[in-house]
Amino acid sequence: MITVLRSSFRSLARRRVLTLFQVLGVACGVAAVVGMVLASRAAMGSFTEAVRFLQGRSTHTLMRPVGFLDEAILRQIMIDPGVAVFAPVIDQRLELADGSSARVLGLDPFLDGEVRQGLFRPAGGGLEERDSGFLDFLLEDDMVILEARLADRLGVSSGERVDTERGSFKVAGTFTHPAAEPLILMDISHAQEHFDMRGSLDRIDLVLKQPETFVSMWSAAGYQVISQGEQRAVYEDMLRAFRLNIQALSLLALLVGVFLVYNTSMFSVISRRRDVGVLRSLGATRAEIVTAVTAEVTFLGIVGGAAGGGLGYALAHVLTGVVGDTISRLYFFLRPLPPEWSWSIPLAGSLLGLLAALLGGAYPLSMAARQDPVAALRGRVAESGQERYAVRAALVGLLMVLVSSVLLALPGPIYQGYVGVFGLLLGLSFLCGLILVTLAPLFKTALRFLAGPVGSLAAGNVRRNLGRTAVAVAAFGIALSLTVGLGSMIGSFRQTLIWWMDGQIRGDIYVRPPTGRTIPAELYGALDRLPGVWGVDPYRNVPLAFRDSLIRLSAIDPEVLGEFTRFSWFAGDDSAWERVERGEVIVSESFFRRFRLGRGDEVVLAGHEGQVTFTIAGIFYDYTTEHGLIMMSRDRYLEVFRDAGIDSLAVFLNPGDPRREETTGEIRRLARTAGVNAMERERFHEGILSVFDATFAVTRSMRALAIVVAFFGIAGALLSLFMERRREFGIYRALGLTGQEVALMTLLEGLSMGIAGFLFGSVAGTALTLILIRVINLQSFNWTIFFHPAAGPYAVAAGIALLASIGAAIYPMARIVRTYPHLQIREE
Amino acid sequence: MGTATTRTVALCCAAGIFLTALVSPQAGASEVGETWREAVDKRSWRFPGDHGSHPDFRTEWWYFTGNVTSDSGRPLGYQLTFFRTGIRDRLPADGNRWSLRDLYLAHFTITDVEGDRFLWFERSSRAGPGLAGAREGALDLWLFDWTAAQNGDVIRLSAREEGAELSLELSPRKPPVLHGRRGISRKGEEPGQASYYYSLTNLKTEGTLQLPGGEMVRVKGRSWFDHEFGSNQLAQDQKGWDWFGLHLSDGREIMVYRLRKVDGTLEPTSSGTLVEADGTGVHLELDDLSVDPTGTWISPASGGTYPSGWRIRIPSAGVDIDVVPALPNQELVTERTAGVIYWEGAVTVRGRSEGEPVTGGGYAELTGYAGSIGGLF
Repeated sequence: MITVLRSSFRSLARRRVLTLFQVLGVACGVAAVVGMVLASRAAMGSFTEAVRFLQGRSTHTLMRPVGFLDEAILRQIMIDPGVAVFAPVIDQRLELADGSSARVLGLDPFLDGEVRQGLFRPAGGGLEERDSGFLDFLLEDDMVILEARLADRLGVSSGERVDTERGSFKVAGTFTHPAAEPLILMDISHAQEHFDMRGSLDRIDLVLKQPETFVSMWSAAGYQVISQGEQRAVYEDMLRAFRLNIQALSLLALLVGVFLVYNTSMFSVISRRRDVGVLRSLGATRAEIVTAVTAEVTFLGIVGGAAGGGLGYALAHVLTGVVGDTISRLYFFLRPLPPEWSWSIPLAGSLLGLLAALLGGAYPLSMAARQDPVAALRGRVAESGQERYAVRAALVGLLMVLVSSVLLALPGPIYQGYVGVFGLLLGLSFLCGLILVTLAPLFKTALRFLAGPVGSLAAGNVRRNLGRTAVAVAAFGIALSLTVGLGSMIGSFRQTLIWWMDGQIRGDIYVRPPTGRTIPAELYGALDRLPGVWGVDPYRNVPLAFRDSLIRLSAIDPEVLGEFTRFSWFAGDDSAWERVERGEVIVSESFFRRFRLGRGDEVVLAGHEGQVTFTIAGIFYDYTTEHGLIMMSRDRYLEVFRDAGIDSLAVFLNPGDPRREETTGEIRRLARTAGVNAMERERFHEGILSVFDATFAVTRSMRALAIVVAFFGIAGALLSLFMERRREFGIYRALGLTGQEVALMTLLEGLSMGIAGFLFGSVAGTALTLILIRVINLQSFNWTIFFHPAAGPYAVAAGIALLASIGAAIYPMARIVRTYPHLQIREE
Repeated sequence: MGTATTRTVALCCAAGIFLTALVSPQAGASEVGETWREAVDKRSWRFPGDHGSHPDFRTEWWYFTGNVTSDSGRPLGYQLTFFRTGIRDRLPADGNRWSLRDLYLAHFTITDVEGDRFLWFERSSRAGPGLAGAREGALDLWLFDWTAAQNGDVIRLSAREEGAELSLELSPRKPPVLHGRRGISRKGEEPGQASYYYSLTNLKTEGTLQLPGGEMVRVKGRSWFDHEFGSNQLAQDQKGWDWFGLHLSDGREIMVYRLRKVDGTLEPTSSGTLVEADGTGVHLELDDLSVDPTGTWISPASGGTYPSGWRIRIPSAGVDIDVVPALPNQELVTERTAGVIYWEGAVTVRGRSEGEPVTGGGYAELTGYAGSIGGLF
């Protein structure tokens, strides 16, 4: 037994380079999963902690559905028997001198201490006990407390000043936020003055004793009372689709990893057929052989998995930042702290690697067990019955593709979609062997044309070794399909966005305030009256609670938009604008898909004075929010929500105006005077696209990882194939082929497998693109992406295929050229 | 009731670290051009107008304590106190309602003798948009839903917190008694180290009271109202103080306060007032009275060792009484604060007055027994 095991491990040591590749292959697959899981967990952990930190002890929050609260209601709140603690909050955003933005909380430390004890207390790193700075904080209108890491970033400490778009502030102290959200605390009186909110509050955080009575009473009066649990759920709901996508991506990476392991174990078994034959004839039992091979596979799984755990931990550090950035850009601020090192990470990696190894190694193991010692000792022979096996595998694969397609076609929960994707890719990979057999004559013709008999030999080798080549090609193809699928999906999405912007965002000039500001009403009036201006759309966009989740509500001027934009209608047509002018609303596709409310249906919203019912006049394509958007006329919005704020202006110019330049100049001047920015449409579009590009950072990281895995996949597969056939090369030399010719043959074999992998990857990738667009995106984000085929992702895949196959062939080629033929045929 | 310093301590208990910062001398002195009036001149008192707020003075408090009995004969004690402390003497011109001038604090306690329970609650707030305040010219105090307001002859108290609830009507049986000399109560040797201080020592009390988890019960009894205001009473060398406000069954009331200095001696300006049955007030100097502890109580919460029970003698008035806490543990331990801990609770009285046996009740306040307090100020 010991002998068998020793022989097994000696062979691992003998094939150092190959073993390294195999370990790396497993490691990459495991690293992808570990990295993603750790990053995703870090993000969710920080998110929960951050939300809890700011919610403090509060159980509920009271606010207006839209707009501010009148602070006078505090007099009712303070005598309400259901209220144990209340804390008014001003919650605004502020642009700092360096262009970044920070969240400003205007609080009353006396009331707030009962809710958020960490902010003003020494324990939270706040103001020191008995620090007279606290008095200044209460009395001086330029005193602020900064989040500690914001202070670090700005390089300021207590007593120093911070410049912002709303003036210069003096730092009274710092506190630490668990997710390092850039927060600035002000006394409520100063916050009201700085943000022109005298007499108003953004919300009141409450500790309620009798929530039911309180909630029903205040809801009836046109207020919104949300429990903190509900609020967390709303946030978590926002992240749901995002998290699922991350998990799915990492599982896809593991799928590739399993293929790599399969490939590796398969090789272990086949490459050591002779050794096994020798050992068996020397008296080793079947069980001992199986144990030895299992030990080898287990070793690869555990070592590769542990390495993958470590690698995944490093990867998680990068991904945590990327995930945090993306969430911040798309949803709300989150800067998750990278996961902390724990020995359980490589341990979990080992387990994962082992699992993948056993899964991937099951079939090769059964082969090892069945092996006939006599046949094995006869030397390496072309695997027999492979084509029969290929057909059988293809049938299984076809069945899997069919079942998966049905799963994908049927409506169902989002998980069903992911199961479908996995099934489809797995099924397609089973087809690989048959594809290779089918393509073989084609390859033979092509390679013979390219390199004469050497090419012919190369093509034959690929086909003869189908057991391993098919698996290698499948692993490689799946990895390539990921890059193709993700790349094409992103490309299509981008094209769809451009198409959408060209229709909806057609203003000539967009006027936008700095973060946390609104457009002054006078500026709107002035621009509207300006000669040469045909129309101005005063755009307002606010969050609104609807059926336990947060959607967006926009107020627009339907007359202006109806005339100057070309909305693309999912349902309905431009006649909807007239109905919007009459008080109806239009909704986004995401709203329609999410809430199943379409044209002609009624939607009930909580207005300033209770519930108001609106009729849906049309459904438009929208890519601004996956949570649902309702658009209504500004007049109706003012009436129902009493909020006169304007977030941006779209200015439409007279295209025939000979003084267009001057008009633009005048608009810029007026905007500058009002302290807001004016930008031309092209720049506005560029801004949107750059946000779009940034939001796909996570997907792109996964794509890069898929490329690395793909590289190791094909390189490892080819390398194993070539190493095993070293002796064969000697025969070729003996038959009269030159070293160069044998090397060329090797290269051609690598290339044909690369090409086969690329072809398979392209087909699977295209299928994946379509699924991502038609099924996954629709299910997770509720919006339609139109498929725009593009060459780019395929070219990238082709490039990887080429590089990986040549790269993998180089090592054996170098050995062939260097080595004397007699060394290689000696055994024969 | 107690001294200016007592109230400052209570203030700090209520507001925690905020107040430590706010009332520390450096902080106060840093305000340029602050002009607070001091309790120096003789004052022409006008009642009930003087029950209202005196915002020219930096610190002001209204103390209501009382011993009541439920219909079923259950003895109970209560305390409802309001504090106003001036952070600055004027508001900025911006007119924002959250701008801070005064900070308001309040304490609410209930002593349930039979249930061996002492409940205490604290609150603090700036005036803000109507959250807290004290009217000038009339007794009208509020901090959220804790209120004390006079309507005609009747003072109404109302407070509610965590299932404890108090709603009382107080009617004075005697006119206000001015402490010290014409209402100027000296706290030290320095000029201005004094406050204006008077009491309604005997208020007929009726109303309802509820303990957490219990029934709302009707109660009757006697209350004591203290009102004190001044601007500069901080004494650096004081360790703590003992204060007593006692009702005797013969119709007399006694107020005693003793300022204990760090060196173990008593502040010479410590004094008291004897209120005769007809309402006449007699000022008592330190030499006119003796207070001897008869027992001790060690707080399990703070570890402080308090005197628990006293023999108080005022030979000139023929008073020789034993004062015993209604419950040993009536300590306020303010966990969130800078560790300021004090004892304030209901007491019972038994002894002789003018040679006749008397009984009675009242309240006592003890500070500086658990940790050092004096150094904070």
